[in-house]
Amino acid sequence: MSQNTIYFFLVFPKIMLELKKNLFTILCFLCSLLGLLLIYFSALKIQPQEVSLSEINFEFLGRTVKTSGKIVYKNSYPSGHVFLTISDGKKKLQVPLFSGFMEKLSETISEDELKEGRRITVTGTVSEYKGELQVIPRKVEDIKVDSYDF
Amino acid sequence: MIFETLLFCLLGILFGLICGLVPGFHVNLLIPIILSFSFFIKNPYFLAVLIVSTAISEIFINFIPSIFLGAPDEDTSLSVLPGHRLLLEGRGYEAIKLTALGGILSLILSLIFISLFGNAFVYLYEISRPYVHYLIAFVVILMIISEKKLRKILSAILIIFLSGFLGIITLNSSLISQQNVLFPILTGLFGLSTLILSITERAFIPKQEEDFNLKISSFQIIKSVILGCFAGILVGLLPAIGVSQAAVMVQYLGRANDPRSFLITVSGINVGNEIFSLVNLFLVGNPRSGSSVAVQRILSELNFYDIVYLIGSICFSAGIASALTLFLGKKIPKFLEKLNYRKLCIFVLIFILLLIFLITGFFGLLIAFASTSIGLLCAKLEIKRSHCMGCLLIPSILYFSGLNPFVLSILGI
Repeated sequence: MSQNTIYFFLVFPKIMLELKKNLFTILCFLCSLLGLLLIYFSALKIQPQEVSLSEINFEFLGRTVKTSGKIVYKNSYPSGHVFLTISDGKKKLQVPLFSGFMEKLSETISEDELKEGRRITVTGTVSEYKGELQVIPRKVEDIKVDSYDF
Repeated sequence: MIFETLLFCLLGILFGLICGLVPGFHVNLLIPIILSFSFFIKNPYFLAVLIVSTAISEIFINFIPSIFLGAPDEDTSLSVLPGHRLLLEGRGYEAIKLTALGGILSLILSLIFISLFGNAFVYLYEISRPYVHYLIAFVVILMIISEKKLRKILSAILIIFLSGFLGIITLNSSLISQQNVLFPILTGLFGLSTLILSITERAFIPKQEEDFNLKISSFQIIKSVILGCFAGILVGLLPAIGVSQAAVMVQYLGRANDPRSFLITVSGINVGNEIFSLVNLFLVGNPRSGSSVAVQRILSELNFYDIVYLIGSICFSAGIASALTLFLGKKIPKFLEKLNYRKLCIFVLIFILLLIFLITGFFGLLIAFASTSIGLLCAKLEIKRSHCMGCLLIPSILYFSGLNPFVLSILGI
């Protein structure tokens, strides 16, 4: 019998014993990974619900939606925050673009492109600020400039 | 007016009792139901009283299922383990008494703090906001190095990474509503995993001690209340910082590590947050809790006297709710001693899973599966369960540092 075989027969039972002792821990680790992977791939596949701007109400709070509208008002602050008000003619909604987000956004869309009259599509989480509904985009790809709307 | 106000306070306590005792049933779920029946209540002030009374009572009563059943709510998730530890030592009533004491003392101290330094807190928020992510990152590093041994440090990094990833993908995806997403995450990490361990390890509730004295020094009580109250006010100010994150930060920065101090602190944070969220409506007009959002919607512009009126209602309700919590805290363990604890845990486990499915659907169950596995892994690696709070701390660091859009773009969510 070679030295390696003897070594294997000596070590293998120890490894098995260690594995048996830690079986529950290993199972937990594998389940965590499996769960995370399933959630991640589901998150990649599930697209935000597309809704018209006037449909968005307080029942949508916390949900991620995709909506579009015309910029009817733009307020830029010295701190770098930009607050857009978009409308579909029936209802208005605020789209806050915070300074950190604006920095990243300016790499693809300049602030000048987000001017009044322009149509944009926003994907984001519906939230409430001072009684008003907002859609807060989470990443740069969540803002798409569509066209001018005269 | 006084008679009606007290009547609505009592009704709020009853609602708070239901919300507090039923695991997973949060006041934020009840508020839309209350609002939809609001046409029965002609005076909007009574409706506001009903909501704030429900919210404050729920905070006190919520610790009962959290400590006795290991079935926590979002805001009491971290109290499961210290509370459960005391329960298994036969000191379940003391755990309840500590949370009630922490809540009442924090209520008094919050009112003093807010009346003296209300505007200073708003100023503090303005100047500290750009540095919050450094503070949270510092806490995460403290959490990791507190494990001391290399094996445990590596295990802590693994848990923070796994739970952090879970937080990033669930808090930023469209899988379930962001209003309910914390329910399966935190219940899985802290509640379901504790229940499974209780079932597999055949835990039982020992006979509870008749000695109702608190085994904690007055200094520790005062320190924990001050820390809890201060952290609660910060939660009321800072977006993306919840009660659980603040509790972890206080635990590590304020060294509130022993279970008794920690229970007082968590209770203090919850009450401080509720009070400051309401006062914040008056100070900056920005609500930070479900109940204060509802109050703003009902009363729109709040003046100083409205706030005083609502705080008075909160104080009355808190007093009754804490007495009710102490009463139930004495009675429930005696009842539980007679039950088969293992069967009870299985029943609660099934009930919570059912609730998760009803509230958040299939994806909620999937999230609960992952979070429970991480919670169990953390327990099996024999490291502190607070590392699981990576699920909120890591997304908070990304949010405050402005890295969230970048990370989400990489992940493609």
